[in-house]
Amino acid sequence: MSASFTRGLRLAEPSICRQCATLQSRRTFASLSQTPKHQTKPRTTTQTLGAPVPSNITSLGRRTYKTVEEAKSRAKSGPFSWQAGLLFLLAGAGLTFYFRYEKARMARARVAEANKGIGRPLVGGPFRLTDHNGKEFTQEDLKGKYSLVYFGFTHCPDICPEELDKMAGMMEQVKEKHGAGVLRSVFISCDPARDTPEVIRRYLAEFHEDILGMTGSWQEVKDVCKAYRVYFSTPPDVQPGQDYLVDHSIYFYLMDPEGDFVEAIGRNFTVDAASKVINDHIADWRGKIDRS
Amino acid sequence: MGWFGTSNSQPSPPPPAPSQDGGFIAPDRSARAQCWDGRDSFFKCLDRNNIIDSVREDEKAKKLCAPELREFESACASSWVTYFKKRRVMEYQRDQTLKKLNAEGATSMDSSSAGGAGAAALSGK
Repeated sequence: MSASFTRGLRLAEPSICRQCATLQSRRTFASLSQTPKHQTKPRTTTQTLGAPVPSNITSLGRRTYKTVEEAKSRAKSGPFSWQAGLLFLLAGAGLTFYFRYEKARMARARVAEANKGIGRPLVGGPFRLTDHNGKEFTQEDLKGKYSLVYFGFTHCPDICPEELDKMAGMMEQVKEKHGAGVLRSVFISCDPARDTPEVIRRYLAEFHEDILGMTGSWQEVKDVCKAYRVYFSTPPDVQPGQDYLVDHSIYFYLMDPEGDFVEAIGRNFTVDAASKVINDHIADWRGKIDRS
Repeated sequence: MGWFGTSNSQPSPPPPAPSQDGGFIAPDRSARAQCWDGRDSFFKCLDRNNIIDSVREDEKAKKLCAPELREFESACASSWVTYFKKRRVMEYQRDQTLKKLNAEGATSMDSSSAGGAGAAALSGK
């Protein structure tokens, strides 16, 4: 069997060799038609095929210096020069900056990712409210842009007004950085008995014209507060005109354009610090965003 | 916070006006500023007389700071008055606690130094 195999090989030999012979010649022609790589000067003399004249090898691989001084200074400083040093420093500074930036970005991404939860979002979820123009507003209307959600009530003595003034400041700083359309600011009332659309509209106009106020029935407000893990203490049945306060959690909730919770911003944040948090998250966002 | 009835003798701002859709209109910015001014002058009077808790020391506060209290109560809804009085006590206690902690050499939560766990436990109170 092996004998027949070698015979077969021998029979095939001439044809293979013929092939390589033609290939060889083709390659030779090809290399000749291209500009030779290892040659500093173009060949001017005609050459015979397959017998290239050795070119001046000594001129290859070694740098030539124009002057003796240049050669001397080169020899003195070795491979280091001020250009190399500058390049080294720039690259170092650039890399340091880049790594710091990336580290901060990764930290923010972790916060955003951790708050997304698995399956069901930890904060946020379906709700149905009425905005201060009397139109229905659900969790779907929150999508498309980043949203800043604040819970409060209009008869609030001092904290809500302070926080709403801060909210207006944040809105302006985000507008400055990313344009007017990227952030939607929402105020949700925890006191539906007194806070009707008209009351909220008049109240919010004093802080910022772009804050959209929300209210609903007591049950609807209860549901949205539950979804956002907001504690509030409004009694379900109050007498008209009764004087009372509402205890509630004080946080700004930042939601991404997909309606997922990103981060809670507490009262301890200044306007600048809170704006930076929001602006950084917006800058990190790679998905679609409605800028209208 | 507030379920505190007003006694009739106290001056109080006009009750909130009803809105057309059944709500009650909240004090606006100027009304709030007026209320806060009243609060601040009343609290200054309390400071002068070393009164912290004007709810518990109601009699004393009424006697020593009568005009300020009247102005405060006429500018703010009674729920707000009670709220501010209680907040003053709470903030005083908070400041005292912080002072005590600082005197004991507790480090704040932000600084990452040894003994941070102890400080965390204390400030968690």
